[in-house]
Amino acid sequence: MRKVAIYGKGGIGKSTTTQNTVAGLVEMGKKVMVVGCDPKADSTRLLLGGLAQKSVLDTLREEGEDVELEDVAKTGYGDSVCVESGGPEPGVGCAGRGIITSINLLEALGAYEEDKGLDYVFYDVLGDVVCGGFAMPIREGKAQEIYIVVSGEMMAMYAANNICKGIQKYAEGGGVRLGGLICNSRMVDNEAEMIKALADKLGTQMIHFVPRDNQVQRAEINRKTVIDFSPEHAQADEYRALAKAIDENQMFVIPKPLEIAELEQLLMDYGLFG
Amino acid sequence: MDTGLLKGRERQIHEKGDKPFEIECDKGSLSGAVSQRACVFCGSRVVLYPIADALHLVHGPIGCASYTWDIRGALSSGPQLHRLSFSTDLREKDVIFGGEIKLEQALNELIELHSPKAAFVYSTCIVGIIGDDLEAVAKRASEKYGIPVIPVQSEGFKGNKRAGYNAACRAMGRLVGTSDTSAISPVSVNILGDFNLAGEIWIIREYLERMGVEVVANITGDGRVGDLMRAHGAAVNLVQCSGSTMDLARMMDDKYGTPTLRVSYFGVEDMAQALYDVADFFKDQDPGIVERAAALVREELELLMPKLERYRRDLNGKRAALYVGGAFKAFSLVKAFRLLGMKVVMAGSQTGTREDYEELHAVTDEGTIIVDDTNPLELVQFIKEKKVDVLVGGVKERPIAYKLGVGFCDHNHERKEALEGFVGMANFAEEIHRTVMSPVWRFVPRNEESSGE
Repeated sequence: MRKVAIYGKGGIGKSTTTQNTVAGLVEMGKKVMVVGCDPKADSTRLLLGGLAQKSVLDTLREEGEDVELEDVAKTGYGDSVCVESGGPEPGVGCAGRGIITSINLLEALGAYEEDKGLDYVFYDVLGDVVCGGFAMPIREGKAQEIYIVVSGEMMAMYAANNICKGIQKYAEGGGVRLGGLICNSRMVDNEAEMIKALADKLGTQMIHFVPRDNQVQRAEINRKTVIDFSPEHAQADEYRALAKAIDENQMFVIPKPLEIAELEQLLMDYGLFG
Repeated sequence: MDTGLLKGRERQIHEKGDKPFEIECDKGSLSGAVSQRACVFCGSRVVLYPIADALHLVHGPIGCASYTWDIRGALSSGPQLHRLSFSTDLREKDVIFGGEIKLEQALNELIELHSPKAAFVYSTCIVGIIGDDLEAVAKRASEKYGIPVIPVQSEGFKGNKRAGYNAACRAMGRLVGTSDTSAISPVSVNILGDFNLAGEIWIIREYLERMGVEVVANITGDGRVGDLMRAHGAAVNLVQCSGSTMDLARMMDDKYGTPTLRVSYFGVEDMAQALYDVADFFKDQDPGIVERAAALVREELELLMPKLERYRRDLNGKRAALYVGGAFKAFSLVKAFRLLGMKVVMAGSQTGTREDYEELHAVTDEGTIIVDDTNPLELVQFIKEKKVDVLVGGVKERPIAYKLGVGFCDHNHERKEALEGFVGMANFAEEIHRTVMSPVWRFVPRNEESSGE
């Protein structure tokens, strides 16, 4: 079983990209579980067709310790297994601790056991790795490979670089590796070249360039992945390509994060003069 | 001193002798040294705990509350609400989803059940991390029930016990100055830094009343919310215990111009000096007060001195070690032991400042070990090396003394014997005598071995 975590700046399209990629993988016959690690609990909406799902932490809060895996794991598109960690309302409590509790509980419930026959687990983690809790999915024994969703916008690249620092920290102790950057295009000048150059400097690869297409939005409004909503559309093929690239990926590295000056130089070189 | 000292601890220990006095203090404890100090939260808790008509609610995991449950032998002449410890008993799901709702429910329930005059809500480590908005919850409860509800910002990780004293003083500072003071006599004091252990503050109040001095607020022994609210009406603050309430005295000096007199009620000399200082402070308003103070001291000494005689005969030349919370108490103890004919061979404190230790150095004899923020290993070493007959300390030092087979006197916040005032000196002498002269120590293996020497 491969354990994959998807990170990236808030709003970059992690959940959308993850679910569309998972749709590609299940189409290939893979058995996949998605674990949403975001208090908003919106990481599995497209796979579940918008079904409001009870999160692990809500269940824990309401039912006490007697939680069953069936209470929190729902079956989605292509027999994917969908779990949401959930968490507190904005501004209260500790969402980081929530992620820790939730992942520990999933392990205790045997969600990753051999008998579940999983080929992949995807952790979809919110925004930046702001505290220890949000690094939980990349600690020892959890996700072994990470993909960072990024675009050619400066703040997205900045966040990607920051996430690499987190990976670097846990790579030494826990063995987590960076599998590549997924460029979710924002139609920025020279975007593909710039992200390729960034990947190069980080010591990794741009595993796929996902062009911007309004079909993604249309599918989302219909609470579906693109592959589910419009299997013939060109954008569906992009996600199939990304799924294939991840499935065939052999390049796993400990990233070398950039100094800020270096990062800004990259923007100057590609963003202005490319 | 030769072996056993941890590296990094040397500079917090000084043996009085030829070398010039030098000590490091008022700093974080050395990790791994197993300091005898308590945490920030515990520091606030011990200071505020004796306020008897207030509700004390610990917002945190149950351990914080149970560790400080009924932590002082602080007696109350009226309400006993302070002796009940309340906790929001935070669990994992409260940490994740926030503890504010639980806190609000607990406050509502407890205020309705007990009708306290005020409520203190103590913040613990985890509450500081998850960021529960105590101020907002406290404000709502305060408006709902019309009593002061005061958050105590005592997150354990903020520092050491001293930071907890400060948090407690800031909390009390919010009560002071909120009530009418017109009926208060110009010859009046607040008693700060006395916790009415075994009824000690009643002894001191009685002395002051005999001198014609009105006591406005006990801070905090046998304390009342209403008294704290009008404490700014007192003419002077009598501050005992160097650490715990000095911050409040400073705040009151800044805001209301209330001056401070540093006092100690332990031992004959310091007790008498405290009364003389108070008399001196009020002599312009009340010219007879000086004579009344002198008469009081005379009367008390006439009663006390014959009682001490017997103890002094037996105790002459015995050796004492003392380890206390605030260094101020140590000065008085050194003098009290001297009155009993005993030598203090080790003196230390958890939270002493540089000035404290300089004074301690000045009052002790040659060869005395002066120590800041010690630990069990060192205490064992000092007790053996200096052939100590009795250790004075608190609950955490007691087993160390007993394991080594030396006497012990509880002079900390759990004591059940009044040790303040002239009557307290008699009790102290009796207690020291009882433990030092106990026949049981001769059965300790260490003493059996050395008895042949």
